[in-house]
Amino acid sequence: MRGRVVLIVLLVVWIAAILITPLLGARILSFSEVMNDEVAGTIFWSLRLPRTLLAVLAGGTLAIAGLALQTLFRNPLAEPYTLGIASGAALGAVLALQLEVFGWAVSFSVVAIASFVGALAVSGAILALAMSGYGRDVSTLLLAGIAISLSCSALILFVQYLADMTKTFRMVRWMMGGLAVVGYDEVLWLLPWTVVGVVVLLVLRWDMNLLLTGEELAASRGVDLKRLRLGILGTTAAMVAALVAVTGPIGFVGLIVPHILRRWIGHDHLLLIPACLLGGGAFLALCDLGARTVMAPAELPVGVLTALIGGPFFLWLLARDRSPS
Amino acid sequence: MVAKLTAARVGWEVGGRTILAEIDLELEEKECLAVVGPNGAGKTTLLKIMAGLLPPSHGALTWEESPYDEISRKDLARRISYVPQNRPLRIPLTVEQLVLLGRYPYLSPFRLAPGKKDYDVVNESLELAGMETFRGRRLETLSGGERQSAFIAAALAQEAEILILDEPTAHLDPSHQRDVAALLLRLKQEQGLTILAATHDLNFASLIADRILALRAGSALACESPAELLRPMRLAEIFDAPFTVVRPGERPVTLLEMEP
Repeated sequence: MRGRVVLIVLLVVWIAAILITPLLGARILSFSEVMNDEVAGTIFWSLRLPRTLLAVLAGGTLAIAGLALQTLFRNPLAEPYTLGIASGAALGAVLALQLEVFGWAVSFSVVAIASFVGALAVSGAILALAMSGYGRDVSTLLLAGIAISLSCSALILFVQYLADMTKTFRMVRWMMGGLAVVGYDEVLWLLPWTVVGVVVLLVLRWDMNLLLTGEELAASRGVDLKRLRLGILGTTAAMVAALVAVTGPIGFVGLIVPHILRRWIGHDHLLLIPACLLGGGAFLALCDLGARTVMAPAELPVGVLTALIGGPFFLWLLARDRSPS
Repeated sequence: MVAKLTAARVGWEVGGRTILAEIDLELEEKECLAVVGPNGAGKTTLLKIMAGLLPPSHGALTWEESPYDEISRKDLARRISYVPQNRPLRIPLTVEQLVLLGRYPYLSPFRLAPGKKDYDVVNESLELAGMETFRGRRLETLSGGERQSAFIAAALAQEAEILILDEPTAHLDPSHQRDVAALLLRLKQEQGLTILAATHDLNFASLIADRILALRAGSALACESPAELLRPMRLAEIFDAPFTVVRPGERPVTLLEMEP
């Protein structure tokens, strides 16, 4: 019962975030301005609304990916980037920047395409490991993912060492992540990945619930562990790869939002998955509003704000409610 | 008697080491078979193989006439339920949620919620295991004995004919050991369940089992009735330890002689 109430509240907050955050910013707009004033209309329709929609989609995707990986690895520290997908994406982006192939193809920058390829390469490596002997034990798989992540980070440092100041600055800026977009290309790109990912994970919800009771018990109930692992890893990897290619890495949302929601609504993935979609989305949209406004007209990288707001809030939750999540 | 489950020359090897060597075993309908033996004798391995969780290195397993390979995982779960000894320390579920997950082999991912039949079976299983009053309690708040009953209730919700339990009385105090033994006897007599349980507790095995299989270093030493197996000579052979029979009969009570 409580879970459903929280879900409804999250839905209301989510809708409110989509409707209200595009109106707020360095210049506060009203609905009538948006309809009648050309400049206000452009700001609203071409800049702020797509940005809000991307934030909502990205936050939801990150929270769901974090939730699924925490359940799969039975590890509260797992998050969307644990397996090195973001590092792979960053390596792709950094290489593209260093090689100066900065142009436009289709409607995405080469950097985005390169980072998507990097993320896919790491995802492929993880899936291959999961299908091989490593797949028998999730903790080995987790360690392998961390090793891949660290290797990518080392390569990134190497490329940065070779790069000049301007390029290094652009690389570092990319790795801070961000939601600054013009138009709807990124939103339309990410939407199908998120929708398919959510559907697949909802189909797997009983399997994920059973994983909470341990792998042995889950297997004895008829769960095909290998297929389930591949399903969860493949789905989250695809979602995160598609996401990180357009936003860069945005930390914290995928780690903490699932924990907060588990505390509020329990551990049934049928409720948790939509709750993460709504909660993660609303949280990132609100953080992005903060990032756009606190130092206006300058912008903070949104990842800085997600951790600054989320960290103390989560600590407060931990201190207030000492029962284990 | 009909053999429900047959293991023919089943063995398990890992890294060139033989954990279980060529075991032949027939589990008959409505019987209770206890597996005893020293640590590392291969009891858990045998149970996992019989439950279909571990494919044997060699040998064949059949359910009635059909080989295990021809039965899907979910189908097998509708016939065999398993209560493992090793479980995560923290399972963030209530008793009712845990038991409902026992319905997994019957649930469709495409239906939003479990059906009325599923909830009926959950209620029945909770009642059978004497856990109705605990249904809303979180597993972490239960005592060891209550938790074991909750896991047995979850296994019952699978509506399987065979219940396999690994060390069902381990870490339980004497009164909870009695409770679990009474529950298993009731399930066998009233529900007609076939039970396969590994245990270190010889008196528990004597109380519930029709036959006891003794394993030692991966091989079967004997498979006999409690009266035949629970004799000092036999037990010394199995465990390398001296036992006294303090109450002979069909279900003997034995005592391990400890040296001061």
